[in-house]
Amino acid sequence: MELSIHQKKRIKHAVIFAALLLFVIVWLLPVFGAFLTSIRTMDDIMNNGFWSLPEEITFSNFATAWSDGNLNTYLKNSFIITIPSLIGTLSLSSLVGFALAKYKFKGNMFIYLMFVAGMLIPFQILLIPVFRLSNYLGIYNNYWGLIMIHTVFQMGFCSFFLRNYMITIPEELSEAARIDGASEFKIFYKIYLPLSLPALAALGTLQFTWIFNDYIWALVLLRDDKFKPVTAGLATLKGNFITSWSVLVAGAILATIPTIVVFIFLQKYFIRGLTMGSGK
Amino acid sequence: MKRKYIPWAFLAVPLSLYSIWVIGPTIYTIYLSLTDWDGITAPEFQGIDNYLKLFNDPIFYTSLVNNVKWLVIFMAIPVAVGLFLAILLSKEIKWARGYKAAIYSPMILAPVVIGLIWSWIYQPQGGLLNNTLTYIGLEGLTRGWLSNPNTALYAIIGAAVWRHTGYVMLLFLSGLTAISPTVIEASKIDGASAWQRFRYILLPLLKPTTVIVIVITMIQSLRAFDFVSMMTRGGPFNTTNVLAHYMYTEAFKNYNMGYGASIAVVLFAIMFIFIVIYLRQIRKGELE
Amino acid sequence: MNFKNFSLITITLVMVMALSFSAAAQDTLVVNTYTSDPAPRKAMQELVAQYEEMNPDVEVELNITAHEDFKQAIRVWLTSDNPPDVFSWFAGNRAGYFVDRGLVMDISDVWEEENFYEKFPKAFQSISVYDDKAYFLPHNYYWWSVFYRESIFEEYGLEEPETWDEFLEVGETLKANGITPFAIGTKFRWTAAAFFDYFNMRINGAEFHKELMAGNIPFTDERVADVFEKWKYLIENDYFVENAAAYSWQEGLRFLSNGDAAMYLMGQFILDATSEEVAQDLNFFRFPIIDEDVPVAEDLPTDGFMIPAKAPHPELAKDFIAFLGSVEGQRLFAEDLGRLVTNKDMDAEVYDDLTNKGRKMIDETDELAQFYDRDMDPELADKTMDSLMAFWYAPEDYRNIMEQMEAHRQNFIND
Repeated sequence: MELSIHQKKRIKHAVIFAALLLFVIVWLLPVFGAFLTSIRTMDDIMNNGFWSLPEEITFSNFATAWSDGNLNTYLKNSFIITIPSLIGTLSLSSLVGFALAKYKFKGNMFIYLMFVAGMLIPFQILLIPVFRLSNYLGIYNNYWGLIMIHTVFQMGFCSFFLRNYMITIPEELSEAARIDGASEFKIFYKIYLPLSLPALAALGTLQFTWIFNDYIWALVLLRDDKFKPVTAGLATLKGNFITSWSVLVAGAILATIPTIVVFIFLQKYFIRGLTMGSGK
Repeated sequence: MKRKYIPWAFLAVPLSLYSIWVIGPTIYTIYLSLTDWDGITAPEFQGIDNYLKLFNDPIFYTSLVNNVKWLVIFMAIPVAVGLFLAILLSKEIKWARGYKAAIYSPMILAPVVIGLIWSWIYQPQGGLLNNTLTYIGLEGLTRGWLSNPNTALYAIIGAAVWRHTGYVMLLFLSGLTAISPTVIEASKIDGASAWQRFRYILLPLLKPTTVIVIVITMIQSLRAFDFVSMMTRGGPFNTTNVLAHYMYTEAFKNYNMGYGASIAVVLFAIMFIFIVIYLRQIRKGELE
Repeated sequence: MNFKNFSLITITLVMVMALSFSAAAQDTLVVNTYTSDPAPRKAMQELVAQYEEMNPDVEVELNITAHEDFKQAIRVWLTSDNPPDVFSWFAGNRAGYFVDRGLVMDISDVWEEENFYEKFPKAFQSISVYDDKAYFLPHNYYWWSVFYRESIFEEYGLEEPETWDEFLEVGETLKANGITPFAIGTKFRWTAAAFFDYFNMRINGAEFHKELMAGNIPFTDERVADVFEKWKYLIENDYFVENAAAYSWQEGLRFLSNGDAAMYLMGQFILDATSEEVAQDLNFFRFPIIDEDVPVAEDLPTDGFMIPAKAPHPELAKDFIAFLGSVEGQRLFAEDLGRLVTNKDMDAEVYDDLTNKGRKMIDETDELAQFYDRDMDPELADKTMDSLMAFWYAPEDYRNIMEQMEAHRQNFIND
């Protein structure tokens, strides 16, 4: 039986589709496991194991995580910390990216590598020096301590990213603007920034996730529970001896909702995204 | 404003903040690596003693080797699979959006949860992996994945690959959408095979994205910490330890901040060398 | 917008930020604890509420941090300019560590005023008083023993063993009936260290054990070999569940809960982790006596509170400490948590049967230790616990392991 090209194509598509579906189902098993854990009781898990069908389905873990994990306060804190940090780091990094991408000057490569180096530093080792710095500046145990470190620390990666993006924006655009009498800053603000929007959206999504999910800086730079972001708050659900996994996982799932929302919202810029070649 | 000062005007604020919050503490860390410090009393200057101790430390070498293994596996699997998935899903396939989200989802889950779930997958009794192997008749392959020194590291890397692949896929997807479809169409008409299209047209056009992917993958593998901390804490008896985790334990649990700092400096130096060499190559390409 | 305006706005923003730094010292009492386990957390919250009721003009801010994280955070807090007023901590080497570095406030005046020297059993003084000054307030403690499923023991006609030989008989019977004697999860190592503690205390006595923990005796001592020999016997004769290192202690509990195993060497908090039905089915016996001539010792980890040297409100803090040492300040932990508390005046009816059995066991104990990683210097404990895990993996190799541990000790004493 000779198959027409059209039929062959359809079979090919069907096979790919099936393989992909199977792959994704297996891929999602751990995520499924997380959901499974969050809707059962600890006793159930202790008696029957983690991969068994639940005896009883309950949503009380989410409620418990919300109240015991103080999630409304902590979520609010997470936003208070993440949004300014995000704005701060994106603004400052675009300044850096622009300067490094557009201007040839002595020290360009050196500064570029300095920001690259910043990406590489195992941040754990900065914990104590930055703690002392924050203590000294009076921003210990304070939102600003966290906002400053997140803003500045993320500048390494963001500057690297944006510099590499902006370098693909053609010179002709700025030349034309300069001829028209625009100042350098206007070129940055009115040409490069808008053209970089997809990259900024992509970065924004990634950075939101990283900053929102941070927890070690919160641990080191905060003393009081009332400032804690949601990740540190969740960690408090871990006992020394006993952890209620179902509550912990339920809380963690609740805490991912903002990240998911941001992802979905920015996805259309993001996936369409990163037009590395904006000279299309 | 004079032309040559302009870039500095842009850099002034970011650079100063960066110097205070990142460069300054880094230099302080380098200084700390030359001292013996418990984090509370005054640091005691010790010269390069910490480094000498480091080069005689078997745990250091085990951790280093583990990082290298991590790097090799990360370069091979998530990068290749991520690229493959990105190419596949950039086409018009039913539910492509759903698949993309599904594959990226591990990135959104908190590390503590990922560590927990994967530990349960790997459990010798009642764990998903062993249960499945037994179910399909491969009971002989079951073992304590995380408790056996021979398999533990690979088990952890497996979980990390699961997470990293989505990230790579996403980056490549973005890069792919930038490629003008007309170029691809033209090459198809010219009679190029799928492989030729891939190798001679797609890959070169993807170069900027590939740079970022490789840099990020290097960083993630050399800086690996979360999974080791969640799943084995470096055990069984240090066989899964990696440099970032070892540094953390020494500095924060054993109160050897000076020694921890020296591990950090070495880790930093390794990463820096790798990446600078790579980026210099790229920059040469850019200038040509 | 041009560059000038942009920078003006930026500078203004920065200045506004600078001015909005808070850090005003309020008149509240800040208490930081590590009581993150579900039951103690609740108890601590209620305790604080109770104190606030008794002292309406005082506001207490309670901050609870996960146990592991607390151990790092506390070092940051104690060296900051703004430490908490009161913090929870463990007795033993870890408390001494901060005392030695002058980071803790002397609370001898509180001890004297409240007469804690009389109200707490003498044993607790040795862990609270350094150089004749009291720094630590011991609050509650729990005992360690071998917990077992009564129903399983009944089914096979087993009785609580008292000697090692009786214990081995119990073990053999269980094995013959397809039941693993010990459930255990050694992923985080301390459950294995418990066995080292107990074998050492039973075979060599508490004195030797304490000296060893302090790093004063070489690990290559023959008496340490005896410990490994006994332990090796259990490992090689299938007394433990397979692949113990793959499970956290809590995950290992599953084997006890579903009846695959019959016993667990564990602290009394095991009752908080099991389901109601299993908890009802649990009883315990003292870790069997190996050598009748050796004075009996037990691990008795004690939790308490201290005041940082730089506490912002020392008077309030001391008052809170006084409350914590009183019967009222300990009742919640005794009643609701079933923990043992340090104030002797606590009425005995507060404790349930099992806890009273535990109290009796402690009363009949000659000496007390805190626990491997609370008695030993943290770094030495970390390195030697890795060695214990290596031993578990290859028990026949214990002579090498002892050398390893001794090498660590050498590093420790030479630092």
